[in-house]
Amino acid sequence: MNRFLRWLGIAVAIFIAAPLVIVVPMSFSNARSLQFPPPGYWLGYYQAYFTDWSWLRPTWNSILIASATTMLTMVLVVPATFALVRHRFRGKGIADLMMLMPLAVPHIVMAVGYYSYFGSFGIVHTHLGVILAHTCLSVPIAFLVLSANLKGFDRTLERAALSLGASPTRTFIHITLPILRPGLIISALFAFIQSFDETVVAIFISGRDAETLPRKMFDSIRQEADPVIAVISTLLFAAVILGVTVPLVVAHIRNKQARLAAA
Amino acid sequence: MGNCIARLTERKNLWPWLLLAPLAIYMAVFFLVPLIDVAIMSVTEPRPTLANYQRVLTGSLYLRVFLNTFITAATVTFACLLVGYPLAYLMANSKPRTATLILLLVTMSFWTSFLVRTYAWMVLLGNNGPIVWLLQTLGVQQPPQLLFTRFSSTLAMVHILAPYMVMNIYSVMRKIDPVLIRSAESLGAKGLALFRHVYLPLTAPGIANGSVLVFVICLGFYVTPVLLGSPREQMVAGLIGNQIDEFLAFGMGSAMAMVLLVVTLAILTIYHRRFGLDKLWG
Repeated sequence: MNRFLRWLGIAVAIFIAAPLVIVVPMSFSNARSLQFPPPGYWLGYYQAYFTDWSWLRPTWNSILIASATTMLTMVLVVPATFALVRHRFRGKGIADLMMLMPLAVPHIVMAVGYYSYFGSFGIVHTHLGVILAHTCLSVPIAFLVLSANLKGFDRTLERAALSLGASPTRTFIHITLPILRPGLIISALFAFIQSFDETVVAIFISGRDAETLPRKMFDSIRQEADPVIAVISTLLFAAVILGVTVPLVVAHIRNKQARLAAA
Repeated sequence: MGNCIARLTERKNLWPWLLLAPLAIYMAVFFLVPLIDVAIMSVTEPRPTLANYQRVLTGSLYLRVFLNTFITAATVTFACLLVGYPLAYLMANSKPRTATLILLLVTMSFWTSFLVRTYAWMVLLGNNGPIVWLLQTLGVQQPPQLLFTRFSSTLAMVHILAPYMVMNIYSVMRKIDPVLIRSAESLGAKGLALFRHVYLPLTAPGIANGSVLVFVICLGFYVTPVLLGSPREQMVAGLIGNQIDEFLAFGMGSAMAMVLLVVTLAILTIYHRRFGLDKLWG
């Protein structure tokens, strides 16, 4: 039983890993269409990506839109999370549910809504439209991360500051914010990634001018499977590897240092 | 003005409202109103009747697409369970190093964009890809068409959604008290019986969580079925996209979107009543 499960587990691990790994050799391939194993290797498609404005512009648009979305999301979510976690009031249940609603609505439904609604304001196919839409979709994720952090917050630290004579504002700036910083950073990061990766709404409302990277990739895969996609996939995958492993390595080094210091 | 706010906030129960107001207004204007717009369009475009719903709920084309979507979502959910359960088990019951390695792999897959993973399956299953090559080497003269079929889109969706399943099941398995298993063993439970009567029921909440999540995401999945699936066997989201993109048929698109929304919300509401929605994404 145990051996069977182990082999099954290894097979599943390969099933999950193989598609992630395969984009890396594909990005160095000199084939013009999808071909694996590649007939030869070169860096030509990397050069193509970094010099072609039809790819760089969507990349820049995505970074711009995700940054603005992150800022707007945090400005709205931080105070709201304090209200929902630290206060009890009528209608709190509905407010809680409202925060999570965007997770429950399929993105294609929102895409139809935004296409028509933003069309009536004339902000469809603009950066502003995409930012406003993406913020709605990022709110629940930022809220989930931040509220989990805030629930675990030890409030005796704040009470100590207050009892020592610090004003509520001073306590908030010098005690609450610094302790909450990791939670705030992760929450903002999740909001950024949600916007940067969001595809469906962007396909329908970003248009030519505000075209995001996922939209460009979608169109390109659909029409011709431009080999540059393998390059972008590899770069995105590399970013994920860094994002996942760097915190682990940092924690490992800190642990070692702490142990050394203790000894 | 400042004085006024100070006096208002002195009545303590106004604080949460002031903090919540910007977000509440924002969500009302940019989330609820567009959603209501979809509902309105479904009964007013092109004329104010219920004709759109009549067509969506009785037309054989639309019913077939809905049925197809349900079958695909059920297949994907079941396959994710078959794939995810052993992996979660391995993660929860192996040495820390192996467990971390698997966790890393699953996390990486989870964070890698849907588009990247969809593209990868295009390479893997393509006519010049490794799987066709392997089949040819093994002596299959005419390898079957793998890409742009129901098979390819289902397989890719299983790969894309499996991390959700693994994470949900793993988070439950990790908390199982080993004492329970040992005491079951000491009472004579072995092998399959131990699994069926002790381990499986203990992991049921994780299975329920993961399955609901995967099923619901799959119902509204747009990107992967459109890029990898057969154009003749569309799923609902793809068909909605077509109505908007190609035919500018906002009424029909909205009516289908409403049906998809109602079904999705119904599933989540039932789930919410029983387990609480906040656990699903936690």
